[in-house]
Amino acid sequence: MKKRISSTKLRLPARAVSLPARVMIHEIPTGVRGLDDILGGGIPEFSFNIIGGAPGCGKTTMAHQIIFANATPKKPALYFTVIGEPVLKMLRYQQQYSFFDESRLGKDIRFVSLSDVVLEKDLNAVLEEIMKQVADVNPGIVVVDSFRTIVRKASATIGEAEMQSFIHRLAVFLTGWEATTFLVGEYAVEEIRNNSLFTMVDGIFWLSQVTERNSVVRKLQIMKLRGQASAPGLHTVRISNSGLQAFSRTLGLGGGKTKSLRRRRLSTGIPELDKMLGGGILEGDSLLVAGPSGTGKSALATQFIAEGIRQGQPGIMAIFEERPDGYTKRAGTFGLDLNAAIQKGTLEALYLRPLDLSVDETMQEILDAIKRIGAKRLVIDSLVGFEMALAPGFRADFRESLYRMIGALTAAGITILSTVEVEDNFTELAFSHYAISFLTDDIIRLRYVEIDGQLRKVMAVIKMRGGNHSKDIREYVITNQGVVVIHPRRTDYEGLITGIPRRSGPRLAQQNEAAPEPKASK
Amino acid sequence: MRNLARCLIAYEAPEIRSFETEIPAGFPVCEKLRLHLATFMGKTGFHTLLARSLVLSIEEVPWLGAARARADDSLEGLEELRAQIDPEEFSEGELVVAAQLLGLLVAFIGEKLTLRLVREVWPEVPLDDWNSNEGRNNEKTN
Repeated sequence: MKKRISSTKLRLPARAVSLPARVMIHEIPTGVRGLDDILGGGIPEFSFNIIGGAPGCGKTTMAHQIIFANATPKKPALYFTVIGEPVLKMLRYQQQYSFFDESRLGKDIRFVSLSDVVLEKDLNAVLEEIMKQVADVNPGIVVVDSFRTIVRKASATIGEAEMQSFIHRLAVFLTGWEATTFLVGEYAVEEIRNNSLFTMVDGIFWLSQVTERNSVVRKLQIMKLRGQASAPGLHTVRISNSGLQAFSRTLGLGGGKTKSLRRRRLSTGIPELDKMLGGGILEGDSLLVAGPSGTGKSALATQFIAEGIRQGQPGIMAIFEERPDGYTKRAGTFGLDLNAAIQKGTLEALYLRPLDLSVDETMQEILDAIKRIGAKRLVIDSLVGFEMALAPGFRADFRESLYRMIGALTAAGITILSTVEVEDNFTELAFSHYAISFLTDDIIRLRYVEIDGQLRKVMAVIKMRGGNHSKDIREYVITNQGVVVIHPRRTDYEGLITGIPRRSGPRLAQQNEAAPEPKASK
Repeated sequence: MRNLARCLIAYEAPEIRSFETEIPAGFPVCEKLRLHLATFMGKTGFHTLLARSLVLSIEEVPWLGAARARADDSLEGLEELRAQIDPEEFSEGELVVAAQLLGLLVAFIGEKLTLRLVREVWPEVPLDDWNSNEGRNNEKTN
């Protein structure tokens, strides 16, 4: 007997009648450090892509990194070489990279030359050969290098429609065989507009070399990527022994933590300065120390980092102007043993002076170092040196890049002390050349003043976003203890910030005053 | 490279005796390498290596000057030379050409990769105890 089911029971729950789930596109890793993030996770599986650009940009190396990152004996990579760079030379050069593992050749990675078919036969024969090899090997990744050569050879005899048909059949076949494909080719940007190949592919990885004055910087742009959102714009690429490394121009912009409301105050290592700062620098703040040459910016930075180490907060010193050994030596004269901290792994000195540096690379270096030692404090000494190390093309964007970098690092809970050299003049109190004060939370200004026939030094806390601070202008000296704030606020002078103050109080009996700095008296 | 070439020639020799009724026209080791390497580097690529090996061998084995690498990668004139030359001398010629061919591969792609390719062609041949010190000095010492 059939059981009657009431109409209410027949009603399916809302979820059961919802639309079927969308297809999940798996992403495969590129093996190129930084590129997966730029792509939004990796390369969409089974996609049909172009790696294009001018010669010498790293197209073949990128293709090799992709195959070495993905090929397995079950799903090997099939690398078709076509005229262009002979395979022997390709292997000769590619094996210099650290990712190249010759033990995987023949098993996970197979090279097949298409040169003879391309030279002697037509596109149908080329397609047939590719189909035959793919059917034999069942690859997960297919690379055709250089695809441009196939097209150029065939273009002499066939029309656009026939070429489109070839590309279409190739794309359909390779996707049908569940292969992720990379067509490598030398193209100029202007060729993209009227070339149907670029319409048909799912992804365009565009590599270029940007020249400005004597500097050449490699760039990567993801011009197109079907199925997922990639980071827009031109990203810096560097080629080293490890192959290509990409530095996203959006590095650090997403996923940052917001600063907690209850933040600790960190000591600078200079007790009187801590008092001026209302107890110290707020954790996660960016502090700018601005002053002319010789006012003790680096000394102050050293004390800040050394105090952190003393309190169990590992630190990074990104140094652009002098060598780390000079830095540690000077710290030694203040009684601060930075070498011991370096050896212990609680301090890292990054000496960043490669040619044509980009802010993104610097940020990556610093982020890597922070991760390595769990750093809580960072010194950038100095912003002027940093700017000088950049390729000219990056200098134009220095302010924007610095904003991004400091934002990313402070969001990660790092407390940053940056130094900047400013020239003292006698009409205004400039904080820096860059108008970057908006991106720092706190500013300390150091300057020279002429008092009683001596060139002395004063400091003032100009700005502190997170709280109140002393408004005093205090005199300080640099002794064998480092920067030491000596005098309380002086009320017998006006116009100290001009550098040429006027005496407003009574002149005290003039003594033969010894220079307050032991360094100066020697 | 001579040791490696000798090892491969020795391995190929009994195979020829058991499977071939006639002695092959070319050098068997070079021929086997051609079949594998032509897929990998194209016919032109292999032809260039073979032709260069032949030229490099002439200094050591002058009678090879009468041979020439054809476009199909067989060695022209080898059949006639085999009939005229003492079999031991002929074997020496094969050894030198094969060694030069392997030496060129080592010069271009290094010993590790060359041995990998050789292993793909002769997976049964034990190559672990092969002494490479006699070869060209193209390897980086890590």
